[in-house]
Amino acid sequence: MRGLGVLLGKEFTEILRTWRLYVVPGILIFFGISSPILAELTPQLLSSMPGLAEQGVSIEIPPATTVDAYLQFNKNAMQIALIAVIIATAGAIAGERSSGTAQIVLAKPVSRTAMVVAKALSSWGLILVAVAVASLLCAGVTALIFDTDLLPEFAGVVGLWYVLAMFLVALTLFFSAALGSSAGAAGAGIAAYFTLTIGSLWETVREFTPVGLLGAGDRIIMGATDIPVVWPVITGLAGAFALVGLAAVAFGRKEL
Amino acid sequence: MSTAIEIAGLTKIYKEIRALDGVDLIVPEGSVFGFLGPNGAGKTTALRILTGMARPTDGAARIFGHDVVHATNDVRSLVGYLPDVPAYYPWMTAEEYLRFAGRLFGVSGPVLDDRVSSLLEMAGLAGVKQRVGGFSRGMKQRLGVAQALINAPRLLMLDEPTSALDPMGRKDVLDMIAALRGKTTVFFSTHILTDVERVCDTVAILDHGRVVRQASIGEIKREGHATRLLVEVEEGAELLEQALAGQAWVRECVRNGQAVRCVIEDVAAAHRTVPALVARLDLALVRMMDEEPTLEDVFVELVGRGV
Repeated sequence: MRGLGVLLGKEFTEILRTWRLYVVPGILIFFGISSPILAELTPQLLSSMPGLAEQGVSIEIPPATTVDAYLQFNKNAMQIALIAVIIATAGAIAGERSSGTAQIVLAKPVSRTAMVVAKALSSWGLILVAVAVASLLCAGVTALIFDTDLLPEFAGVVGLWYVLAMFLVALTLFFSAALGSSAGAAGAGIAAYFTLTIGSLWETVREFTPVGLLGAGDRIIMGATDIPVVWPVITGLAGAFALVGLAAVAFGRKEL
Repeated sequence: MSTAIEIAGLTKIYKEIRALDGVDLIVPEGSVFGFLGPNGAGKTTALRILTGMARPTDGAARIFGHDVVHATNDVRSLVGYLPDVPAYYPWMTAEEYLRFAGRLFGVSGPVLDDRVSSLLEMAGLAGVKQRVGGFSRGMKQRLGVAQALINAPRLLMLDEPTSALDPMGRKDVLDMIAALRGKTTVFFSTHILTDVERVCDTVAILDHGRVVRQASIGEIKREGHATRLLVEVEEGAELLEQALAGQAWVRECVRNGQAVRCVIEDVAAAHRTVPALVARLDLALVRMMDEEPTLEDVFVELVGRGV
């Protein structure tokens, strides 16, 4: 993998200097701060909806708790943030091909595998830092508004989210390399995400594949202790590494 | 003299299109080699195969003896390459891009510092702090030549380096290429004949995916091709044109004012006949001179159409 260190350095510099620094981290940090606040305000907002009292409708909503704050964050992270991750990753390889930047770089003694691996490692690194900051902020704001309960559970849930994000980054990188189109890769990545969501309806699939990472977080936050996460984590990580390998093979076969 | 590039029977087929059709080519080390052909002749395809961006359908290509398909990194370490439309990371400055390119070749420390500094100077980009995304086409092209030289390559391959530039930009890039003569082998694809005449010493003409001629520029102009003869009289050029057009050694004549320019096939016959012909028509000869065919004349003759 000649050139990996140099390409990785370029990827991290690019993150610091372009939109990549703001999109996924911005979304995650926004959810980190806003989720506990939204959880706290939701009962008040619902009970103060105009017209309900005049119609004789009375809604009794229990006060929000730490569980609601973390559920809110996990729900947002599982949906909007993951779709943002897919869209942000879709152009990683296809964009380098279509813009011509790959052509001039790969005419040098650099392997295509190194370029793909650098993309994967930098995306994983960016998301790791972003989700760590966002979850620390979420835990901090939650502690200020509610209490410090469920911190170990929340950390575990964030870990599961990160494994799923790694898997989806690798899957989208594979589409980006194989399809050669940023829009196509984004579309295929989002379609794959919804397919995983549908797959989570089957218990066996949920138990042994990365699909199990989708709904596990919510149930762990709500107190379930018998959620099978070992196989979903193992297959999620193995799948992520395998997909990066497949992306490298697909990119290697493409003419530039 | 050793060989920089050796291509034998190189063929590339895209679905129904035969982009390269059994190309044979030898590029001697140390030459400034013009790879000339009209748009769509297959020049870029050949360069893409040589740089490992595309795979040949058939045939072989070697750079300094290394097979370009299998020994890609060995080959790339020896080569500098500028694609026809160079694209850079727009958030980098020229200096950052050169440092990035140098590190990809494993160049570092004071050697990299020196090369970056001298190449920025050569490209006229020293002190430019603007990001590459805001560069003009000419600046990008000059940066392209500079980044292709960062590894001090034994072979520099340039794909249409002047095609989209204004006259000043063209001059700058051609001056950069001309300055490399004797320092490295330059393989330079273009459809601009005057560029080839200006900087190249050897040329191969590619048409419809085939090399139709390869030789030194002097040789290609001399060998087996018609010469031009210019005859100017004080007045009566119409009569002279008619008389010349009837000669067996004249292929065609064009009159411009009192001058008649002919494409001829037998220079000696022309030299013997023309003065007598002018005297017989009772015309006053102003001048008679041979004109060397331009590369464009040869190109049109070989390719069979204008460019």
